[in-house]
Amino acid sequence: MTLRSRLFTAFAAAAALAVVACSPAEKAKDAGADTSAETNAVNVYSSRHYDSDTAVFAAFTAKTGIDVRVVQAEGNQLLERLKAEGEYANADVVITVDAGNLDRLVEANLLQPATSAALDGVPAQFRDPQNRWFGFLKRARVIIYARGVVDPAQIASMDALATPAFKGKVCARTSTNLYNLSMMAARIERDGPEKSLAWARGIAGNFARQPQGSDSDQLRAVAAGQCQVAIANHYYLIRFRRSADPSDRAIAEKLDVVLPDQAGAGTHVNISGAGLAAHARNRANAIKLIEFLTTAEAQQIMSDKNNELPVASGVTLSPELAALGAFKEEVVDYGTFGERQPEAQRLFDEAGWK
Amino acid sequence: MEVVANAQRARSFGELASGWPLLAALLAALVCAAPALAVLFGALDADAAGDGAGNLLRDSVIGTVTLTLVAGAIATVLGAAAAWLVTLCAFPGRALFEWLLVLPLAAPVYVLAYAYGAITGPGGPVPIGLSGLAGAGFVYVVGLYPYIYLSTRAAFVSQNVCALEAARALGAGPWRTFATVAAPLAWPGVAAGGALAAMEIAADYGAAAYFGASTITTGVFRAWFSRGEPQLAMQLASLLLIGALVFLWLERAARGRRGFAGGSARWRALKPIRLSPLAGLGATAFCATLALLGALIPIAWLLRLASYRAFADFATLGEPLVRSLVIAGVGAALTLAVSAVIALAARRLAGRIGLFAAAIGYAAPGAVTALGALTVFALLREAGVVGGISGAAAITMLFWVYASRFAAAGAQPIEAGLTRVTRNMADVGRTLGAGALRRAWRIELPIAAPAAVAGALIVFVEILKELPATLVLRPFDFETLATRAHAYASDERLVQAAAPSLMITLAGLIPVILLSRRLTRSRAGERE
Repeated sequence: MTLRSRLFTAFAAAAALAVVACSPAEKAKDAGADTSAETNAVNVYSSRHYDSDTAVFAAFTAKTGIDVRVVQAEGNQLLERLKAEGEYANADVVITVDAGNLDRLVEANLLQPATSAALDGVPAQFRDPQNRWFGFLKRARVIIYARGVVDPAQIASMDALATPAFKGKVCARTSTNLYNLSMMAARIERDGPEKSLAWARGIAGNFARQPQGSDSDQLRAVAAGQCQVAIANHYYLIRFRRSADPSDRAIAEKLDVVLPDQAGAGTHVNISGAGLAAHARNRANAIKLIEFLTTAEAQQIMSDKNNELPVASGVTLSPELAALGAFKEEVVDYGTFGERQPEAQRLFDEAGWK
Repeated sequence: MEVVANAQRARSFGELASGWPLLAALLAALVCAAPALAVLFGALDADAAGDGAGNLLRDSVIGTVTLTLVAGAIATVLGAAAAWLVTLCAFPGRALFEWLLVLPLAAPVYVLAYAYGAITGPGGPVPIGLSGLAGAGFVYVVGLYPYIYLSTRAAFVSQNVCALEAARALGAGPWRTFATVAAPLAWPGVAAGGALAAMEIAADYGAAAYFGASTITTGVFRAWFSRGEPQLAMQLASLLLIGALVFLWLERAARGRRGFAGGSARWRALKPIRLSPLAGLGATAFCATLALLGALIPIAWLLRLASYRAFADFATLGEPLVRSLVIAGVGAALTLAVSAVIALAARRLAGRIGLFAAAIGYAAPGAVTALGALTVFALLREAGVVGGISGAAAITMLFWVYASRFAAAGAQPIEAGLTRVTRNMADVGRTLGAGALRRAWRIELPIAAPAAVAGALIVFVEILKELPATLVLRPFDFETLATRAHAYASDERLVQAAAPSLMITLAGLIPVILLSRRLTRSRAGERE
């Protein structure tokens, strides 16, 4: 064989492979999605990439016979994709972590109201007033401390971490992280920008090390004695306690948790939510899926697998989650997060919180 | 008469001032640069930057300049030294290191960052706390030195032994031969590899973000998504792209316009330089350290994590593995076609535009390229050309972004391979009445084929590791190894992320070893 015919063969083989591997399933599925006819499927754009969600979708399919097809990417990327696709977007349901992401979807007119009797059961605090998104899981931003080193009474509020008593003792991840941005957005909404900036300066001045790594890494740093307190989401500690890695469980032994601001505004809580896509084709199926996500049945699966807190009542918490106890949650208007998060980042940058 | 007319009209593929070869080169340039440029233009009408933007700009620029210069220089020195040792010296374990040293190429830098974050983090086996610029710089050095190692080795390997022997015959010792003949001959290879590594460093998001290092790339994300200031993001991104262009220009200036005349076509094995036992031991230790830090230690760490789940996760990776291999294979073939057009035209203006366009694509962070592709897509949709990102459109977009991102990695080696096409060969083709296209097809491409294969393998591994564009542009239910690893890693489930990360590395190993073997065999002198 000459080089040219070899090149041709290779190219043809590659193209054929691509067709075989990429298209049959896609073609069959997209044929329905490209017309306006409804199919027995629901197309989901999700920024949640957890095994728990795969399990919930499987349960939904088993129950309704409706196939769930998913594209997972970061929230901001899904937003850009939806914008680029416009009315041709194949998404029926959009799911994101973080209220700011939901709010930005609303502002870009990428969601539409979904109404049903079942959805009316979602507490007003956790859904859009115009029913464009519905929260179904909660995550609390908590204080993790070194057991036996720090007196939990000293860290009853997030404000305490910004006081001189904690100079060189605080760990947190970078300020670009959505959990930090939303926590700050809620603070700005409550205390105004000046007081919030002062708090961020206090925290940045108390860092034991420059922000780096994940929430889990902050917990590891506390366990190793690099810092005494860290800001993290509640489920990371629970995950360490339930981990398959023995060194993770050893870390969890050295840590404990405070749900801050019980005497004040309450602990900051962020949500995962789902909304009906503006150009949804499988509208009825989409509403069924959103309804299912708001049920105790679905949230039981997700809470068990991912240690998040349910919005619905009637979910049995795992022993580790139940051990957190009932706590007061900060009541916030999640609809302000889209606007407040950029402001939060600017204040963080000004405060020197990397 | 016709022969003469042909000879006057068409000199070589790249010399054509008109016709479709020029169009092809410009089209290739457009493929590479369009996403990044769309992003830049898209931001022109955005709001002005707010408070704290100065800090962000300053920190970002300092971070990226420091990392590309310092980590890039260290990686270049280490990679070139390793290539020289392995190719021209004899020491214990040389044959083994020949391919062991390439292994880090198979591991995504973000996986290295996770591994070293845990290994050096509190409670890890070596708790020295790698972080910030130092942490990112460390993983760039140990993860990216193979770029220089490979290109330098290719340069050493393709050297005409006669030149080296002539130097020896004239009384030059091994060191003098190296300094005055071998090193200058290898310099274009060192520069090309160093430029690729520097652009990789500039475009990296994962490792820098993980270690909390402020770079232009992390700054782009901070400005755009966190601060909601696309204009500031674009200012940062344009700095990155201008920097890439300056760097490419410097690299080409450093390479020089010197042509090295071919000499005899007869090749023979070059006698390796025998190192003293102590020096040999040093060489072994040096190469072993590079291979350990870049690949073996992170792989061992991933294996340990995967063992906690009794390696059960591997069973679920069949479909993502096939997907990854297919899109990397097809993507590499398509990207290489773009690379070849650019490389063939590289000596002329259209080709040079193509090279710079490819550099822009390569230095642009993957997520920025993906967003740029979405911007172009939106324009096409408004013009009524396309609909939604369904199966076929999504795959097409993906391949386009791959071509834009990685054409530079394919064009560099092909261009290097084309330097073996002598003036005589082109003249012979011309005398026989072959037009520019025909000569490109019959003479230039076949001669550059080994280099093209090297380029294809590098692009294959790059696509295998690519994450941000695959994540956002993929069709429904389309999981690759990289998206699977990311899903767990971004959720801080490193134990579950271990299996797909290992699979990416394993899948990348095969082409990487092929690449190393091809290099060894292309040593013409040893085939006699």
